[in-house]
Amino acid sequence: MTKRTRFDLWTFVLMGAWAILLILLVWPLSSILKASLIDNATGAFSLAHYVDIFTIKAYQRAIGNTFIAGFGGMAGALVLGVTLAFVTTRFHIYGRAIIQTLAVVALVSPPFIGAYAWIVLFGASGVIRKGLASIGIAIPPIYGVAGVILVFSLKFFPHVFLITSGALAAINRSVEEAAESLGVPPWKRLFTVTFPLILPAISASALLTFVLSIADFGTPRIIGRDFNVLATEAFNLFSGEVGGNPGMASALSIVLIVLSMIVVFGQRWILRKNVYYSNLIKKPERQRVSGLKSVGLHVLAYTIVLLGALPAFIVVLFSFRRTSGPVFQPGLSLQSYQKVIATVSDPIWNTLLFSSIAVVAIVISGTLIGYLISRRPSVATGSLDALLMIPYIVPGIVMGIAFITRFNDPPLALTGTGLIIILAVYVRRLPYSARSVAAALKQVGPNLEDAAVSLGYSPGRAFLKVTVPLIVPGILAGALMSFVTAMNELSSSLVLYVGRTITMPVRIYLSVMDGEYGTASALSSILLAMTVVAVYAAFHLSGRKESALL
Amino acid sequence: MAELRIQGLAKSYRDVRVLESIDLTIASGEFFTLLGPSGCGKTTLLRTIAGFQQQDRGEIIVKGERIDPKPAHKRDIGMVFQDYAVFPHLTVAENVAFGLKARSLPKSEIEARVAESLKMVRLDGYQSRLPAEMSGGQQQRIGLARAMAIRPTLLLMDEPLSNLDAKLRIELREDIRDIQRRLGITTIYVTHDQEEALAVSDRICVMNKGHVEQIGTPFEIYRHPVRRFAASFVGTMNFVPATLDGGKLVVGSQSLPFPALPKSGPPELAIRPENVILTRQEAQGEAISLRGEVRKVTFLGREAHYTLRTEVGEIIAQVMDPSADFIAMEGQGIDILLPLAKCALFDADGDLVSMGKQAR
Repeated sequence: MTKRTRFDLWTFVLMGAWAILLILLVWPLSSILKASLIDNATGAFSLAHYVDIFTIKAYQRAIGNTFIAGFGGMAGALVLGVTLAFVTTRFHIYGRAIIQTLAVVALVSPPFIGAYAWIVLFGASGVIRKGLASIGIAIPPIYGVAGVILVFSLKFFPHVFLITSGALAAINRSVEEAAESLGVPPWKRLFTVTFPLILPAISASALLTFVLSIADFGTPRIIGRDFNVLATEAFNLFSGEVGGNPGMASALSIVLIVLSMIVVFGQRWILRKNVYYSNLIKKPERQRVSGLKSVGLHVLAYTIVLLGALPAFIVVLFSFRRTSGPVFQPGLSLQSYQKVIATVSDPIWNTLLFSSIAVVAIVISGTLIGYLISRRPSVATGSLDALLMIPYIVPGIVMGIAFITRFNDPPLALTGTGLIIILAVYVRRLPYSARSVAAALKQVGPNLEDAAVSLGYSPGRAFLKVTVPLIVPGILAGALMSFVTAMNELSSSLVLYVGRTITMPVRIYLSVMDGEYGTASALSSILLAMTVVAVYAAFHLSGRKESALL
Repeated sequence: MAELRIQGLAKSYRDVRVLESIDLTIASGEFFTLLGPSGCGKTTLLRTIAGFQQQDRGEIIVKGERIDPKPAHKRDIGMVFQDYAVFPHLTVAENVAFGLKARSLPKSEIEARVAESLKMVRLDGYQSRLPAEMSGGQQQRIGLARAMAIRPTLLLMDEPLSNLDAKLRIELREDIRDIQRRLGITTIYVTHDQEEALAVSDRICVMNKGHVEQIGTPFEIYRHPVRRFAASFVGTMNFVPATLDGGKLVVGSQSLPFPALPKSGPPELAIRPENVILTRQEAQGEAISLRGEVRKVTFLGREAHYTLRTEVGEIIAQVMDPSADFIAMEGQGIDILLPLAKCALFDADGDLVSMGKQAR
């Protein structure tokens, strides 16, 4: 038997991929693990920070609140998302395209815009709250746990909606008819047949919303007020408003990572067997209903998506209002935009520049790594694939802290540069790109390349002529979605920015914190417009598949 | 025209031997089928000839020249795939032209060959369609036209019909056979469907567990299997346990004179259902007669299958053009004759034992 080891392009890609992940992922994260285990003052090994977590009330409260936010956001998103998915896949609803568009708007608008918009409506000086107060109805401001859960639910339900609709549309109708013929009434069938079949999809989206909720920094920070979660607590301790405690911030970051990890692996363990394959011979059909039931279903569906998309409308609307400091005045004006262009246009250019560079890097390396994972299976690529899971469970704020502690000093002193912001976004989004390319390649199937080879094309040319044209639309759609998330990245940029390298999300966040709502609205609207353009293009390229947006 | 010789071809995956020293000679223009159950190594053998897999040992020789050191794309072999492998981003005509472009033929030549190939598979008029708009059968016709257009020295087909429904399968297999005859192209065809193999092949190679069980014409494989595996895999075969006892062959309570076998172990008597006789009339020549009970009758139109319970186990008999009262036979006793001239005897190793009485 002869075994030839070839040193080709892919060997270099493999080595390069390992180098990138070791330098940009393992090395920075090891710094926070190390920082969490040493005493801030003496530099000696110490478990003091972890002991503190279990003895100091504030940290325990942060952990508790993180769970509340995670489960609250998850529960809210599940209720809204599954309901909407069920109504739109099983009943004839007018304007399904509108519903889907609104859900996508809610999906792609940055979460801190949501928090901010709800404050504009129901905050201390909220428009609706004041309006209600003037007619004698007093409601408390939205700050705190209720606000956080509300924003998470309305922000993350589109994930649940899109994943669950896909699963519901893939249930063979004969299976449900079989249940009916066996004497199971429709309402009971829902719980004994339909829900168990879509359980994998529901739990996958539940996991996703939980991890997104506990990783989110902007929402609890803006609307939570004294509702501290691990992400905000870690940021406070790190940014050092009260002296700074990098060791403690690192320990809390580790706790946050471990929490995400438990959820991710727990979900995988629970679902390790519950994947159902069914042949889709008879597609489910939408039931036509009329009268009151139809009205009720339409009201339900439209209420959910309109509430989800409301923040986007609010910021656009309010960006055209006259302001005087934090207070909106009657009448329309472009003064907020004038102010943005005159004084804070840097963030716009920074955002576009950083996101573009990051996306180009992500697309090139993600495509190569994705190919490696799906077409060159080996121990080295398998462990690379496992390593690529890490960014899914590391919240942006933690990645930011890890980057700034590791790249503050030589050999790689990057603090204060635009590069460090780009690299943080790059390593966070790389896995999404690599894995989507790997998935796309698995769909193309090696037989197509074999066919080209048998027709006289060398393997390299076969890849270029057959595989690349087939996966390019997917790669471009993925690139645009990476661009969207890169533009909207707040948490890691907030830790890593300096005056020169400020980005739009950071600027919006600071404006909201300073009460400059006019500036915040105008900037948010510009960000939203850029996002919508990119999403529309991605949607178009991917053949109008909503799943491309996840 | 190309003759193919395979000598001592062997391949293993880790510890599993998937091909054990295969020797084959395929004549120029022959339609040669590799037949066997899944995992028998037929697809591995085909993909090794194509160059998608590398053998551990052995040689592949086409027209007197070894092709196995060449990479797949230089072997000039047309391949048709089970899942069609039609390029979904190219039109029908572009699919067929794909291999011609790699050969940098002049444009007019490419157009002429595309038109000719599509006409051959009865897809003229579909040039500018995309494969997604076409049925499975039409997609496989594209695959066939694409492989034929390059006028390869060898045509390989990997279960090309198994994703199609029964009616299309028969229609397309006839077309494949006609086109292959017309062009006289040396073809190796892989299938697990024995009926398909019998219908299209010049010769069949029955494979099992990585080695060749028997090579022969469809008639030889069906009528004169030399291995028990080939007998059982191709068509239906009754196996009746027998014993050899001091110069006698004992089946049930009957014994016939029979020369002693060098090998020990109980042999088995094999007979096709259509050779089992269910009447009271005497069989011509020697026969084993058994008494049985009709357990079940299955009516299939031009024939009926009788499931019979006998002292030597279950026997299936086939009766052509059954009469109206066939169903009434269920539960009744019947006399069964197994004419020795139509029987084969396999020893405990599965090898055919000569009975000296087989009609050729």
